[in-house]
Amino acid sequence: MAGDVQHDYHLVNPSPWPAICSLAILIMMVGAVFAMKPDAELFGMSGFGSYMFYSGLIGLFYTAFAWWKDVIHEGETGDHTGVVQIGLRYGMILFIASEVMFFVAWFWAFFNASLYPIIPTTTNEIFDVIGQVPVWPPVGIETFDPWHLPFINTLILLLSGTTVTWAHHALIGGDREGMKKGLWATVLLGGLFTCVQAYEYSHAAFGFSGGIYGATFYMATGFHGFHVLVGTIFLAVCLGRVYKGHFKPDHHFGFEAAAWYWHFVDVVWLFLFICVYVWGG
Amino acid sequence: MAHANPTGWKRWVFSTNHKDIGVMYLWFAFIAGMIGFGMSGLMRMELAEPGVQFLPEFLGMTEQQARHMFNVLTTGHGLIMVFFMVMPALIGGFGNYFVPLMIGAPDMAFPRMNNVSFWMMPPAFILLLLSTVVEGAPGMNGFGGGWTAYPPLSGTIGHPGPSMDLAIFSLHVAGASSIMGAINYITTIFNMRAPGMTIHKMPLFAWSILITAFLLVLALPVLAGAITMLLTDRNFGTTFFDPAGGGDPILFQHLFWFFGHPEVYIMILPAFGIVSHIISTFSKKPIFGYLGMAYAMAAIGFVGFIVWAHHMYTVGLDVDTKAYFVAATMVIAVPTGVKIFSWIATMWGGSLTFPVPMMYAIAFILLFTTGGVTGVVLSNAGADIALHDTYYVVAHFHYVLSLGAVFGIFAGLYYWVGKMSGKQYPDLLSKLQFWVTFVGVNLIFFPQHFLGLNGMPRRYVDYPDAFTYWNEISTLGYKVTAVGVLLFIIVMFYTLFITKKRVGDNQWGEGANTLEWTLSSPPPFHQFNELPKIK
Amino acid sequence: MSVKRLTAGILAAFTAMFGLTVGALAEGRLGLPKDKGLWLQEAANEQAVKIADFNLDLMWLITIITVFVFLLMFVTMFVYRAKANPVASKVSHNTFIEVVWTAAPILILVYIGITSLPLLYYQDVVPETKFAIRVTGNQWNWTYSYPDHGGIEYTASLVPNSAFADAAERADYEKDLSEFLGWDAKLNARLLDTDLRLVVPINTKIKIMLTASDVLHAWAVPSLGVKLDAVPGRLNETWFEIPQVGTYYGQCSELCGQDHAYMPIAVEAVSQEDFDKWVARAKVEYADAATTALGR
Ligand code: HEA
Ligand code: HEA
Ligand code: CUA
Ligand SMILES: [Cu+2]
Repeated sequence: MAGDVQHDYHLVNPSPWPAICSLAILIMMVGAVFAMKPDAELFGMSGFGSYMFYSGLIGLFYTAFAWWKDVIHEGETGDHTGVVQIGLRYGMILFIASEVMFFVAWFWAFFNASLYPIIPTTTNEIFDVIGQVPVWPPVGIETFDPWHLPFINTLILLLSGTTVTWAHHALIGGDREGMKKGLWATVLLGGLFTCVQAYEYSHAAFGFSGGIYGATFYMATGFHGFHVLVGTIFLAVCLGRVYKGHFKPDHHFGFEAAAWYWHFVDVVWLFLFICVYVWGG
Repeated sequence: MAHANPTGWKRWVFSTNHKDIGVMYLWFAFIAGMIGFGMSGLMRMELAEPGVQFLPEFLGMTEQQARHMFNVLTTGHGLIMVFFMVMPALIGGFGNYFVPLMIGAPDMAFPRMNNVSFWMMPPAFILLLLSTVVEGAPGMNGFGGGWTAYPPLSGTIGHPGPSMDLAIFSLHVAGASSIMGAINYITTIFNMRAPGMTIHKMPLFAWSILITAFLLVLALPVLAGAITMLLTDRNFGTTFFDPAGGGDPILFQHLFWFFGHPEVYIMILPAFGIVSHIISTFSKKPIFGYLGMAYAMAAIGFVGFIVWAHHMYTVGLDVDTKAYFVAATMVIAVPTGVKIFSWIATMWGGSLTFPVPMMYAIAFILLFTTGGVTGVVLSNAGADIALHDTYYVVAHFHYVLSLGAVFGIFAGLYYWVGKMSGKQYPDLLSKLQFWVTFVGVNLIFFPQHFLGLNGMPRRYVDYPDAFTYWNEISTLGYKVTAVGVLLFIIVMFYTLFITKKRVGDNQWGEGANTLEWTLSSPPPFHQFNELPKIK
Repeated sequence: MSVKRLTAGILAAFTAMFGLTVGALAEGRLGLPKDKGLWLQEAANEQAVKIADFNLDLMWLITIITVFVFLLMFVTMFVYRAKANPVASKVSHNTFIEVVWTAAPILILVYIGITSLPLLYYQDVVPETKFAIRVTGNQWNWTYSYPDHGGIEYTASLVPNSAFADAAERADYEKDLSEFLGWDAKLNARLLDTDLRLVVPINTKIKIMLTASDVLHAWAVPSLGVKLDAVPGRLNETWFEIPQVGTYYGQCSELCGQDHAYMPIAVEAVSQEDFDKWVARAKVEYADAATTALGR
């Protein structure tokens, strides 16, 4: 048995990135805490939080970049055999599954607040509100009209779902120009969605803090927006790779992963739109 | 495929080798375990007699500080034992080392991600330790709100300082690490089984890790969501858990236990897997009802997701909801019973020998049963009214955790230490270690049933004098256990660094027939360059 | 049920063996943990009795199951030790036995469920009550108010340990307490006694409306079979009825910070006449809620 490797699995070379990444995370997290609490002291020191946070963040970005660079290199030089690609698929599906559960938490918070609303009370007012019926959305909240910008955003995302499929089919058919067009369209639509969302946020009649409506609204849509951003970057990286000549009609899991992720983001939005904007608004 | 094999510190820090990473996990768990064990010692010493005297004296603080410090210790102990001892040992350690060996794979599916899963544990642990040296409750250091971290106590009202934020991030990082680990296991098990090893021929330990990994992927993100909301409540003025803004403190409990209950099975299923192999090995018999065993674990995992509110019988749920959770919770006793009886049936008709791993496995079955049946008592909301948040609960979960999961770790260590190190553990001393630990932990936790029934609430730094007697016994048990832990360190140190006695490839003879026993002890740096074929 | 009597006997024997008990005082019963106690605190009302009975059934069941598993294990270990049985059988299936050990636990659990749920509904569905008391948990004491009795409201805090060490201080506390109640009262236990007590009439169904002003707490009195979380922003309800005059003690049962162990509960159950007298006096002294700010 000794000697030659006779299987197709990918035995990855030792790599410095995991350890460096962890270090960056430590720095970033400690920094984050003391950035949020600038007056708090750690071993007698204070005020270092944001510097520390940003150094950690830069470190994290750097390692993420270097790490994925390695992955892409390995993928392009033949380490990603058929069986390894299947593994990558499992990995991506499971990652998306964990993301779904992450969103379950926000939806849970939203439904808890909207199906069983309570009357906001401070210390002991509870005895004074016995018998009052709470409503959703809470009194005084002016919600968005779902059939206005949110609906346009829905259309944008749905459209971007089709353009990414266009890109995929073009890739499989060997039409690299078509793929570029499809991907450009998707990335631009993703960017447009983010802009519309940002515009909408800036005109909201309620804030993130101070009330449960804003909290659940921004937490759910905000995390979704963050995922749109990540997905857009993911697709943009794929676009860059297309220009570098990466991806073959029968070997392009990096792109497929981006597309899956994008569809996931899309579906989450549909749920958000229906539940938070239409039903809950 | 040329493959560099760095030596020295780079071998470990840059590792992409599942066995090296597994070993690092085990060492990490050991260190964390010692710290958690030490914390429980401080708690037990404080509880040795009524009044608050040990902590103020030992740590040189005022009584007020000591009261808070006790809660910090309880919290730290719970979090460390759960997230930094049991999980890294069973899943990260044994899972990493033995799942690829057992399924005939050369390594894990994502070796580099495997390493980041490990290396995120020390930062997570450091964050938790840092949280004890910065302000938590007003004027006090550390977070003392229990491992469950219920708001508002964990919010700005109870703990305005940065301590709680550090603890939250600690859980975020540990959680991310576990999710990545879980994805890695599932992919490895689905994708890298040796030719011929169908999922229905796969060893039970691999099964247990597979199911555990699914629980992790589905449960941990919900916890991450819950503590993220806690974080924004604390720092950005949201009101998820604050009634002043229309939020609901109970929401956090739902989210926490939606994660928390699967979490307890996350901690016990791998131990089930290990025990199955040990029982089968030393009975020289295949496991009885193999498929039933595998699907019982799956059933436990599945039902584990729909019983969470049995931790919340006293929060004011409506009565029909409680009735549902009573029924659903009790269902879990059925697949668990199947496992217990199948283990005994495996032994039945076997040719039994009782080396140390077998002693631990048998003790596991007996003590887990003892802890499991008190769980069934607690699952009845009517009785739980008397027992919730008393030491009865503490006794229940230490029987399944400290005498269940931890005995599973000990069993696995004795079973596999020869395989991992190539060395033979000292038999007599190890037997002594078993007996001392066995007596010690039972002495700690059995009397806690009496305390709980008699009404002693948990998380109490001081108690009415009527509870003195059983607390004394419990602390005495801790001292006995401490001797057991000391012996354990001696045994392992002797095995790893002193003894010259080596073990063969298959230390346990014909009963041990999983793939790891076909390899040398310790196994080669890369095993299965040519994949084994399973008939 | 003779099993119950048997158990009671065994437990009594145990308790006697370990030497014990806090005798009931002449004035009435005391709901306290027992020294070296092995079992639930003595039940003082119907709810607690029901819990104790059910718990006893469960204890027998789980003891039998555990002993059964232990015996089975020991017998197996003995009979099939390698010396006695050098050649292992290869049997790894037996459908019949597998069905049995799946079905038997199901039957046991169904039995448990059938006895468990009625108890749950009995406890949890608040019946028609005579009046309500509002209880608020604060860090770290309890505020009691009687909306149906002219808004009596006061806050009960722990009697400090020093009162149990120092006779003069103890006398002070007992004097204040007696003045508050209107009859002679004694301090009974360190960490359980409060400066003022919750006063209720016997043989009356009383509703407790529970909330908290800062963090979670739980209002629990073991001998009355009551335990309920106090949650800010929520109103939780439970009830009890006490058939016998006495003082019943409990402790906060949800972690609430530094002094979680120092916010006990003392319920004084008195005859209806005494209660009426107490209300008349308390109305004068404690009815002005403004003077007794919450969470003092
Ligand atoms: C490894 C961890 C682990 C495991 C396996 C379990 C297993 C079980 N637990 Fe436990 N539990 C905890 C860890 C664990 N628990 C922890 C940590 C807490 C406290 C958390 C906190 O608040 O901090 C807790 C608390 C807890 C509560 C809440 C108590 C309270 O706070 O008031 C409840 C209530 O239902 C409960 C029930 C159960 C049940 C029914 C099982 C079942 O799975 C047990 C099944 C096993 C058996 C029943 C034995 C074997 C079976 C047979 C021999 C068959 C025949 C048996 C019968 C017919 C009964 N547990
Ligand atoms: C796996 C989990 C685990 C383990 C092992 C333990 C072990 C112990 N626990 Fe723990 N405990 C918890 C989980 C655990 N506990 C939790 C979740 C809580 C609730 C916290 C809360 O309320 O918020 C708690 C609370 C708790 C309390 C209640 C505190 C309170 O309510 O105020 C007490 C009191 O006595 C206690 C005591 C002990 C003791 C004496 C030990 C041990 O010392 C017993 C002996 C242990 C060993 C012998 C094992 C040592 C292990 C190693 C050294 C690692 C070896 C590993 C490798 C080599 C890889 N614990
Ligand atoms: Cu109030 Cu604990
Ligand atoms: Cu549970």
